[in-house]
Amino acid sequence: MAELTAFAYQPGVSILHRLDVRMKLALVAAASLISLRLDFPGIGLMALPLLSVAAGCRRSLRIQAGELRWIGLLLAFVFSARVLSTDGTTVLSVLALDITGEGLREGALVCLRLSLVFLVGTLLMATTRSTEIKTGVQWFLQPLPLVPAERVGTMLGLLVRFIPVIFEEVSRASDAQRARAVENRRNPLRRAVKLGIPIMSRVFERSDRLALAMEARCYSERRTQPSLRAALKDWVLFGLSCGWLVVLLAV
Amino acid sequence: MSAIIEMDHLTHRFADGTVGLDGVTLEIEAGAFVVIAGANGSGKTTLLRHLNGLLLPTSGSVRVAGVCVQENPMKSRVLVGMVFQDADSQIVGETVRDDVAFGPENLRLDRVEIDRRVGEALSATGLIHLADKRPHLLSGGEKRRLAIAGILAMRPRVIVFDEPFANLDYPGVRQVLDQILQQHRAGCTIIVTTHDLEKVLAHADRLIFMREGRIEGDGPPPALIARAESFGVRHPRAVHLGVEALSWLN
Repeated sequence: MAELTAFAYQPGVSILHRLDVRMKLALVAAASLISLRLDFPGIGLMALPLLSVAAGCRRSLRIQAGELRWIGLLLAFVFSARVLSTDGTTVLSVLALDITGEGLREGALVCLRLSLVFLVGTLLMATTRSTEIKTGVQWFLQPLPLVPAERVGTMLGLLVRFIPVIFEEVSRASDAQRARAVENRRNPLRRAVKLGIPIMSRVFERSDRLALAMEARCYSERRTQPSLRAALKDWVLFGLSCGWLVVLLAV
Repeated sequence: MSAIIEMDHLTHRFADGTVGLDGVTLEIEAGAFVVIAGANGSGKTTLLRHLNGLLLPTSGSVRVAGVCVQENPMKSRVLVGMVFQDADSQIVGETVRDDVAFGPENLRLDRVEIDRRVGEALSATGLIHLADKRPHLLSGGEKRRLAIAGILAMRPRVIVFDEPFANLDYPGVRQVLDQILQQHRAGCTIIVTTHDLEKVLAHADRLIFMREGRIEGDGPPPALIARAESFGVRHPRAVHLGVEALSWLN
């Protein structure tokens, strides 16, 4: 059970761990949106400080890359779709499919942008407790009329709490099937079905047990929240990060 | 002593029609150490889940310290702390400290009181040095102690343990048993369900056997233990040797 996933909170005292959660959420939203507009130089400029921050949080990039292999599959799909659907100068023809230089460039760009979004998201989740995320989301939603802020915050907090659970179950089910030579089955669809059904069933069972344990300890939407306090150093870091995002936009 | 738990003709029928509990009437004195034994499916866990309203009776009633569980399940959850069989699925917090704070936060206590209770519970269970660790990295015995700490921070009067020794190695069993006895000495009412009497019987002052949702044996352990195997529960070694049950802590 000593499973570490890229989506699980990892205790620490890094600069990101200590940053006020409201500022973290605002920066994550801004960085994610801006990353979708960046070109290659901008992506490089954004990735470098993010990777240094990730290293500062003592997150092994090699382990993180391994854990994100499933997202790699998604990126591969996106890349292929872009490569095959973008018009331009043909650089290679395979089985009557034209691969264009523009398609390769577009595919690489989209994948790098999405990777940045994933990196930003995993950094948030690795350095922020789900209760803090819940409190931060509630703070942003509170002024909006007709939005049940506590309920949305609770749902988001629970979702964040359950993501590592889902990954643990995927890993267990996958190990159990590999132990019974599932690799010998060549049909990927059949393998996906054989893996998907037990995963769904185990995730629901595990979620039921967790929900029961939470209920036994009087869980409700209204509970003592972590205190939200922004110190001067939070504002300094927030200002610097905003400035850096503006520079990226200009690039 | 007065009864802290009163069950009156408690029946529970599951949605598929299976009878989980069949007219159970039971009183447990405050401060008692009760072991409930029986084979798998005998109704032990179903019985426990009625004590804090995780399951509600189809008929009959449950009262804890005079509080009707059906009418006030939240209050009963404060009175009755439950340590589940699977410690992993009981872990809610991202660190050991957060997990212990989960219950007091739900009780909407102020932060100073929460921190005080968390510190006390971690010290009592010997986990204070692991406070900032990720719970999933703890050993089996430590996880079970964490589950106990999470309950202690809510200051319950009754603690129920559902198969507390399942999947634990010898040191883990000793650690958990020691914690159970500490809480009993501190005045908590203890209820333990198990199908492995060997590890806990020496400390119990009452033994209850269940079969098919009914209580079929209830009394002091020495008077009942000889019948254990007729309820699908293995005799402790001491019975075969003709001596008194021995503690695993000696």
